[in-house]
Amino acid sequence: MIEPSRELRDACAIVGIGNSRLGKVPGVSSLDLVVEAMRNALDDAGLKAGDVDGILCRGPDEIYSHHQEVGERLGINAGFSTTVTNGGASQILSVALAVMAIRHGLATTVLCGYGRDAWSRTHATEEARVRNETRPPSQLPREFGPEYGYYSAAATHAFGATRHMHLYGTTKEHFGRIAVDFREHALRNPQAQMKTPLTMEEYHAQRSIVRPFGLYDCSLRSDAAGAVIVTSRERAKDLKQPPVLIKGFGTHNNTRGWFADDNMVVTAAKKSGERAYAMAGLGPKDVDTAQIYDCFTYMVLTQLEDYGFCKKGEGGDFVASGALRMGGALPTNTSGGQLSEAHAEGVLQLVEGARQMRHTYPASRQVKDAEIALVSGHGGNQVCHSTLILGRAR
Amino acid sequence: MTEAAKSTPRKPLPRPAPESLPYWEAAKHHRLEIPHCDDCGGHWFPPSRSCPHCLSANVGFKPVSGRGKVFSFVIYDRVYHPAFEAEVPYVVALVELDEGPRLISNIVDIAPDKVRCDMRVSVVFDDVAEGVSVPKFKPA
Repeated sequence: MIEPSRELRDACAIVGIGNSRLGKVPGVSSLDLVVEAMRNALDDAGLKAGDVDGILCRGPDEIYSHHQEVGERLGINAGFSTTVTNGGASQILSVALAVMAIRHGLATTVLCGYGRDAWSRTHATEEARVRNETRPPSQLPREFGPEYGYYSAAATHAFGATRHMHLYGTTKEHFGRIAVDFREHALRNPQAQMKTPLTMEEYHAQRSIVRPFGLYDCSLRSDAAGAVIVTSRERAKDLKQPPVLIKGFGTHNNTRGWFADDNMVVTAAKKSGERAYAMAGLGPKDVDTAQIYDCFTYMVLTQLEDYGFCKKGEGGDFVASGALRMGGALPTNTSGGQLSEAHAEGVLQLVEGARQMRHTYPASRQVKDAEIALVSGHGGNQVCHSTLILGRAR
Repeated sequence: MTEAAKSTPRKPLPRPAPESLPYWEAAKHHRLEIPHCDDCGGHWFPPSRSCPHCLSANVGFKPVSGRGKVFSFVIYDRVYHPAFEAEVPYVVALVELDEGPRLISNIVDIAPDKVRCDMRVSVVFDDVAEGVSVPKFKPA
């Protein structure tokens, strides 16, 4: 086991948080959305673009050197700047890189963010709607997939769900609990894309996408962006908002592949989480709220196990206990998550985790007395993972 | 050709990467051959030009048994590509060969609802176009 540097614990803080309009935002590009979120984060922090000297973002894959285009639109020259391409693990990885850059004198104040136009892109034409594909054609598989009718990230994750059900007796009822609970959270969030309740009866009556997944097992297609600003704890003291402490982070990448070993059932969240806990000096029992990368219901269940909130194979019982609800043992995806708020590849989980640590929400949305939030990022062909542990500043 | 046949889109054919060409050439002759390392004896999939077990470049393709088990699977009810409209529901599986490597395929000759993880399967070949045959698996 790698021993992460403890000197990074509480060294930096999130001092600005922002998101774009969420849901269906036609006529606005992914670049426009991330710039909108970053402007909101700057306003929130009381900072000007000239105060920023770092940009770390994930771009839409077809934009070359995306961070440069972001800097151009915000009028920023950056000492430290790059585009991160670990898919949904990129957003927390950006924060981790920001902390390391700040600690080593490469930057003082770093903007991290991501935006995507997945709703607009998949609804541009009827063909686009049916294919429901967000990747550019050049990135789609050419063999060992299309000839078998194997399409979509839903199917890739559904392989894990099938295997987990086979090994541990996990059921659709368990997946449904996650979808229903997160929808209930979304109803507390005025910005959420989904506005109507979801019952377990409706969940079971859903149309099939790729079994075992149905419509409500799958995250939303959204136009959405989020951003955070990271700076040193020292500098944070002079800024407008109460700082949110970055207590620990970790990454792990099962780069041998989702189909190798047991990676679809014991995900990279396990080692990523162990590293984050070690840096923070904390464990799963210390976590008050979790914001888990919920591209599909199954991914929430298996990550809760991998993070040690319950044992491997017991995720079904854990979610069935009501643990994920507001007031439960571990209120999870309290914004509604990617299943019901909006899907922006994990950046909105980062935004929500940080906001929960500020305690500025109305009581209906605030996890009571929450001191520690865990945020997860998952992506990069399903095997890149990142974990962030945030704390309320005292 | 009938009007109906003309209007039915064709299923995508594999568009092999250069390192995969021997795999598809063997499949054309109804043989399942996968990469093999002449130094460490390891197998792997998908094809690449060096051995991921020992990094040797002393590699080639060797026939395998064509037997294995279903590691996991999914069932398509929704049509993602119009050529598969007549196929739904159909099964896409990750098949673990007895030699170790896992590959994506279809499970055929069985009702989708009857497919289970770890069930034994063996290879069959589907001649999908002139000179193109795709390995699929049926219950063993």
